[in-house]
Amino acid sequence: MTVRLAVLWIAVVILAVAGLVPLLTMFLQSVVVDGQFNLSFYAQIVTSSRQWSLLGNSLILASLTTLGTTLVGLPLGILLGKSDLPLRRTFIFLFTIPLLIPPYVTAVSWFDVLGRNGLLSKSYPSLAATTSSWLFGLPGCVLVLSSTFLPVVMILTITFLKTVNPHLEEAARLSSNWFGVLKGVTVPLARSGIFLASLLVFLLSLGEFGVPMFLRYNVFPVEAFTQFSAFFDYGAAAAAAVPLALITCLVLLLEANFLREKTYQLRPASGAALQIRLGRLRNVVFLTVSLFCIVLVLLPLSALLVQSASQAAYTEAIWRAGDSLLRSLLYAAMGASLLVLLGFATGYLIHSRALGICRSVDTLTVVLFAMPSTVIGIGLISLWNQPSTTFIYATPAIILLGYIAQYTALSSRITVSTLSQIPVSMEEAAEISGAGWLRQVALIIAPLAKRGLAGAWLVCYIFCLRDTGITMMVYPPGRDTLPVRIFSLMANGPPDLIAALCIILILCTLLPLSLLAVVIRLKRQES
Amino acid sequence: MNIVEFRSVWKFYDQKPVIRNISLAIQENERLVILGPSGCGKTTLLRLLAGFITPEKGDILINTELVASDGTSLKEPRDRNLGMVFQDLALWPHMTVRDNLEFGLKAQGIKPESRERRIRETLRLTQMEGYAQVRPGRLSGGQQQRVALGRALVLRPKALLMDEPLSSLDLQLKTRIQREILKLHREIGFTLIYVTHDEREAAEIGKRMVVMKNGEIERIGPTHPRC
Repeated sequence: MTVRLAVLWIAVVILAVAGLVPLLTMFLQSVVVDGQFNLSFYAQIVTSSRQWSLLGNSLILASLTTLGTTLVGLPLGILLGKSDLPLRRTFIFLFTIPLLIPPYVTAVSWFDVLGRNGLLSKSYPSLAATTSSWLFGLPGCVLVLSSTFLPVVMILTITFLKTVNPHLEEAARLSSNWFGVLKGVTVPLARSGIFLASLLVFLLSLGEFGVPMFLRYNVFPVEAFTQFSAFFDYGAAAAAAVPLALITCLVLLLEANFLREKTYQLRPASGAALQIRLGRLRNVVFLTVSLFCIVLVLLPLSALLVQSASQAAYTEAIWRAGDSLLRSLLYAAMGASLLVLLGFATGYLIHSRALGICRSVDTLTVVLFAMPSTVIGIGLISLWNQPSTTFIYATPAIILLGYIAQYTALSSRITVSTLSQIPVSMEEAAEISGAGWLRQVALIIAPLAKRGLAGAWLVCYIFCLRDTGITMMVYPPGRDTLPVRIFSLMANGPPDLIAALCIILILCTLLPLSLLAVVIRLKRQES
Repeated sequence: MNIVEFRSVWKFYDQKPVIRNISLAIQENERLVILGPSGCGKTTLLRLLAGFITPEKGDILINTELVASDGTSLKEPRDRNLGMVFQDLALWPHMTVRDNLEFGLKAQGIKPESRERRIRETLRLTQMEGYAQVRPGRLSGGQQQRVALGRALVLRPKALLMDEPLSSLDLQLKTRIQREILKLHREIGFTLIYVTHDEREAAEIGKRMVVMKNGEIERIGPTHPRC
């Protein structure tokens, strides 16, 4: 076996151990009671009207969030990706912030606006009672999750619009206005990407448990978490997780059959993209987008800032959660580094089709990414909660395994996209020059892919840092991360402390991004 | 002596044959041109020889040694002692000209003094002495061609494979580079296997020509000098 195949097989095994085996173990434990095959947990689920209502709630929440994000994200993506609207990059950055932070932090920030003691209550106390009751329930969940996942649709719309051949739009522009061109040519050509974005939002909303838990809207992931953490009913938790896993697989089957090939390799179309000139509408559209951005993003963030605006709050935050903060940064950095290594290997495997199972590996990473974090958490505990494996279960290794399971798709897909832009002849030239595979990777492919890999690291760092679901389920005693600490404190902690912790978490996420922006700007100036 | 030999070689893509039963022997120091329209299989033939792909049927020999046979690659590309100039040149953009030349020498474990000597010699032969520390992106098209040629020749390969390397150049530059290739061939002496779809280029470069069509050899014979 060559070094290349050995490395790729090792990556596949690591991914399987981190993601696939835990899910299978969880499934097994849900159908075996006292050593016997038993479907009683499933019988309870099927016959319980409460479970059906939970499932209904989950599907309604996911559907409404998907609808909201698609209806708003698509035009927003078109405006920010194709028009001459001023400050487009700033808007993209601002609208993306909610995706970069744990969704429940956004829920907390909306609570600081609309809650009984929120910003609104200071001016309109009677209205705040209404908005508070509105926030705690389905509408509040839809609002928070829509603002969280809006950037998914927006960014993918912008990305896929860039793949449309500008000549096709030019041909249509000869006989139609921009609305007609968008409706008849641009959007239909980019529809696979838009549909993919909607599917992603659906799955991410379906698996979200932090926001519904905080806003007291009962959904399946909350049930699975409660069964596990409150009642320690292992089989019931696993059985509650399985329907979510099945829905996820079903939706992904759709994606695999209808979208995968169309959305796989993103290459910007050649030629200068056509820009929509807003003309007289430019100012009106600018004001509308600005207002929307202020209400959806800046207002809740400002509420957090106002709520936390005391030195005492930040001092207490550091005193009470400084250790969690350090652990968060450490685990996120370690997780991102491992994910880039593993994602590079799986991405290379998928790109080069070096093994016959490359398509299965790709599917596995996507399934794991879309799988609700509670499902992965329960799976990991099912597998590693054994006396002989405490070296994993009782250490941060289990958190890192969780990160690998859930987020390898991110680094893997970014790698595939990056590698597809490197001509295969680069690697072949190195190969024929006498370099072994590791040398080719280290000296040719990795340097050529360094921007993509750095981007992958940053994306993985952000996702690991914001992770709540998996970490909450699996963290060993005394090893919690900042998002988990905030979540635990939310039940009875003082609001100014919670807000200060949320602000610290947001800063930890945005600081590396800002650094990257500065580096990119400096590099541009140099060149 | 045969440096390269194809024996009844077949290659399939998606069960369709792209190379059909090709047998061909190439002599040491020969200048062979493979000519044919796009999609006729000429690049595939070159890639089979380089070892990037494996023939489903048939044998490939380099220096009388079997390197691929009936679906099995017996020698990795790096062990075949071939040089190749790619259609897009494939110069590594993050490395300087010198690093591009040195990469293969290092990979093959050549000692530093010997490496240094070979790099200097190659830079001289390709008239790139003043550009050792420059990155490929800053070079002109012709200079990039010379670096690609130098990178392939610095390894002293048994055969140099060239896959339409001049297709993107204008006529004037193309003619100049062709002359330089022939000059290098005279000075160093190597087997040249050159793929092109341009009959004039084939006549300039080759002594013998293989015309391919639909994955098969249509005819083999000497090239005719341009009138």
